[in-house]
Amino acid sequence: MNALIISAILGVIMMFSGILLKQKSGVRGIAIGGLVLVLLSNVLEMNGTHFFNVNLHGMMEFDHFSLLFVSVIIGAMLFYFILSARDMEKVGGYYAEYFALLFFILCGIVLVTSFKSLLILFLGIEIISIPLYILTGSDKRNLKSNEASLKYLLTGSFSTGLMLMGIALIYGATGTFDVAKMKLGLSEQPELLAIAGMLLLLFSMSFKVSAAPFHFWTPDVYDGAPTVFTAFMATIVKAAVFIGFIRLFGDTFGGMAPKWQFWVAVLAAATLFIGNITAVFQQSVKRMLAYSSIAQAGFMLLALFAMNQDAREGILLYSVAYSLATIGIFAVLGRMNDYTFEGFNGLARRQPLVAAVLTICLLSLAGIPLTAGFLAKFYMLKAAMAAGTQFWLVIFAVLMAAVSVYYYFRVIQAMYFKEGEANVTVSAGFKTALVVLAALIIVLGVAPELILYWLYF
Amino acid sequence: MKNILELAYLVPLFPLIGFLINGLGRKSLSKSMIGIIGSGAILASFVVSLLIFFQVKGGNTDTLNYFSFIRAGAVNIPFAFQIDQLSSIFLLIITGVGFLIHVYSTSYMHEEKTEHFGRYFAYLNLFVFSMLLLVMGANYVIMFIGWEGVGLCSYLLIGFWFKNPEYNKAANKAFIMNRIGDLAFLIAIFWIIGKVGSVGYSEVIAAATEGSKFTTTDITGITILLFIGATGKSAQIPLYTWLPDAMAGPTPVSALIHAATMVTAGIYMIARSNVLYSMSPLTLNIITYVGLATALLAATIALKQNDIKKVLAYSTVSQLGYMFLALGTGAYVAAVFHVMTHAFFKALLFLGSGSVIHAMGGEQDIRKMGGLNKYMKVTHITFLLGCLAIAGIPLFSGFFSKDEILASAFGKSPVIYAVGLFTALLTAFYMFRLYATTFRGSFRGTHEQEHHLHESPSAITIPLVVLAVLSVIGGFIGIPEFMMHGGHKLAEFLQPIVAPSAKLLPVHEVSHSTEWILTGVSSALIIGVVFFAWNKFSRKPDTGEATGFGKVLANKWYVDELYEKAIVNPLAKLGGFFNNIFEKLVVDGLVNGVGRLVSYSSRQLRLLQSGQVGSYVLLMVLSILLVFVIQFFLRK
Repeated sequence: MNALIISAILGVIMMFSGILLKQKSGVRGIAIGGLVLVLLSNVLEMNGTHFFNVNLHGMMEFDHFSLLFVSVIIGAMLFYFILSARDMEKVGGYYAEYFALLFFILCGIVLVTSFKSLLILFLGIEIISIPLYILTGSDKRNLKSNEASLKYLLTGSFSTGLMLMGIALIYGATGTFDVAKMKLGLSEQPELLAIAGMLLLLFSMSFKVSAAPFHFWTPDVYDGAPTVFTAFMATIVKAAVFIGFIRLFGDTFGGMAPKWQFWVAVLAAATLFIGNITAVFQQSVKRMLAYSSIAQAGFMLLALFAMNQDAREGILLYSVAYSLATIGIFAVLGRMNDYTFEGFNGLARRQPLVAAVLTICLLSLAGIPLTAGFLAKFYMLKAAMAAGTQFWLVIFAVLMAAVSVYYYFRVIQAMYFKEGEANVTVSAGFKTALVVLAALIIVLGVAPELILYWLYF
Repeated sequence: MKNILELAYLVPLFPLIGFLINGLGRKSLSKSMIGIIGSGAILASFVVSLLIFFQVKGGNTDTLNYFSFIRAGAVNIPFAFQIDQLSSIFLLIITGVGFLIHVYSTSYMHEEKTEHFGRYFAYLNLFVFSMLLLVMGANYVIMFIGWEGVGLCSYLLIGFWFKNPEYNKAANKAFIMNRIGDLAFLIAIFWIIGKVGSVGYSEVIAAATEGSKFTTTDITGITILLFIGATGKSAQIPLYTWLPDAMAGPTPVSALIHAATMVTAGIYMIARSNVLYSMSPLTLNIITYVGLATALLAATIALKQNDIKKVLAYSTVSQLGYMFLALGTGAYVAAVFHVMTHAFFKALLFLGSGSVIHAMGGEQDIRKMGGLNKYMKVTHITFLLGCLAIAGIPLFSGFFSKDEILASAFGKSPVIYAVGLFTALLTAFYMFRLYATTFRGSFRGTHEQEHHLHESPSAITIPLVVLAVLSVIGGFIGIPEFMMHGGHKLAEFLQPIVAPSAKLLPVHEVSHSTEWILTGVSSALIIGVVFFAWNKFSRKPDTGEATGFGKVLANKWYVDELYEKAIVNPLAKLGGFFNNIFEKLVVDGLVNGVGRLVSYSSRQLRLLQSGQVGSYVLLMVLSILLVFVIQFFLRK
């Protein structure tokens, strides 16, 4: 609750800061300071300090898992602000407004992670999506950016329709929006309406996390959007929507698991296949990362498929590992002149530190041991194994992870083993943040309990 | 202090610290500092070992558990030391002889660059550390750690002068040969874990004697595998060929590792597992014949070698064969006794040869020496005493231990005794051929070499003198029963170790009068051979190339060539086949095929991404319809 209200207020403050403050560094300062404030207030709430007492009528519930997850998301966002806030200046003239939109998205994230009513879920998803449509098109003079924004809006509206239809069918079947009162799956044979509604929700959520075959918007939007916002969409937003996805299917439709588990397995397999295989042929690192984000979503779907304790731990670790690594890569990518693989040729010679951090991020994404990404994948596979029904999926996921090594290592190969003129200008502060990020990836790869511990304390 | 045994951890700790300091500080420390740290660490270990020895002698033994080393399911392997009669004797040999050799090395290696000097001492300390782990461990896994550690150090030290490719080849050969044995050892350990669920000596022995966890087949299998491990480390047929080549290392290394300590690890292992072996007559027979054959084969090769260190190396192989012969006949005490006396006189002989090589400016060919007694008095006298001891001249240390082995061989079979005695005569012959050719007659080297001949400095001669004294008197702790009642102090001391096997194994009692006769005959023959060889080679050393059968011996029975043809070449051919045919066609084909498949699918899948929103939505709708159809019409 603390985070929700404070970030909403901050969104409003950011809108005015652009008018009141001439200095861009001032705007940035407020944004980062405000985010720290949100983080603090959320951590305080985890310890039982509530700033606001609002009767929610059971529509939301701020339990330990959601609060912890929001803390992690804000932490990742902080990294993102520190690494990439300057890059937003280059996008267009409405610097303060971008921050405002990001804070509104944070509100949506809090809603999506804490909903207890399907209406709140819908609200949250829309609060996340609408600012993203705007941010995608924020590079107004760029045709690609406009095209991406429009495509996103059109396909997004389609998915919104699916979601509303699904919610309506569920309402028809149960007579309530309240998750706690639905009692789905208690009878032997659930109603046709409920199953149809559940499937429609499955599709619309799959669209939001870009699971195949609802992923088509992802490469075009990620590629067309300004890189700095692609980074945000691909990491923080995706992880948050995933938590909503898991809450929805774990809590609301938990009783109907036999009806959807198979379809999640199919979705996961399709997503892993399309994401990984298509990424192989890409020539642009940015587009490769778009497919990589699809592929990684495939892995995260394994948690949804398994829905056991390992899955809960795993999805938390996975979102952190994936977000940190991807934020790091995008932060560097945003400063490169050339987004193709060739554009990275010889970077290691000129920027050994940046190249090293990038390598760690890429290794983590590929799931190489000693990085957080390895343990995250390990948890996912373990959870899927424990679920026990679809063993082929585990083997398939491992094979696809092997394919992913190919395109991640192409970047490493370009940086270290090819001659070229790649270079980036980085400040000392940027480098420090990168090093902290890399250190976190390694630390979590060795001692994941640093995060997981908080699930149980 | 409650119990001195609790200090046991200090024994390996000192060399480990020495290794770390010398290894890390090899570029910054001075040579004298490195020498003091390296030798001091071993001296400190020796002092603690002495304290421990007296405790053990007073009947105080213990197993010290430090921490849980491996815990996996039901298997729990502690990091533990076992301090008893057997290990305390080995501690004294390792640290005592080790210390002398460290002191010797400070002078012998002095011409090395400081960095390499430090590296040398670091390796040497690491070796002592590993060897101590090997003998102190209370279970087979700790022993295996030490076992591998000494193998590594042996490799590092044989290839110490790594700029010489021949030396590197020798180091590789030693390492690979040892690895073959190590594999067998490892399988034995797994076998034991599989059957007993524990690798502690006491648990394994208890399981073998009391429970029904082991069948006879298990025991025979495990003991044979352990023995194969021992043939690697202790240079027995068929894995002995690395030891002569190991002489590529610095001479003190040959003395410490390839004569006095590491190569006796196999003996220690079998003595440690004596109860298991006593339960398997088949394995004991194998050991007897392998030991005997090795002793004889190596002795014949030594007859025709002209490199001073090669003679000693084959003599080591031969003496190790003797020790296995003793083990095979169930005379575990005799084997340990011979390990000890051999450590004294073989270290002495190697160090003496080092002193000679030093004086000769690196020359190792005895045909170019001669008459060195005039130039190097201390080296000459001590070397002579070493030769007398190894030949088994009465009252020298080798006499007692060798005699005991021969007596137990006689108990088993007179034929084995006869071959053993013949080998002993060969030993006396080639040792005095070596002695006479080197020290007697007239000098045959160049004038320049003669000009440089000198006695070595005291850091070299003092260890020689100490070892010479030990070689002379070392046998008196094991005076056989028929000569003096209660004279075999060592047997008394080791009684608790071998007592359980004594119950299992019938002892071949030989009457005292027979023993007197055997000893008398063998001593007379040996003395005769010594005189013959001394005279023959003092007057007319054989300086030419060997011919006829001698050539076969000089070429070591062509065993290396045989191995080359029978094993190495076919392996290389097989490797070539896999490399050129299998790898290129099958493996590469498979790998590249998968790669092509992925890249082809990638190109096709990419086409789905048309950029048209309409087609995206269409594809989504089609998918949704498909799912609905399957869900509502096809799935139950």
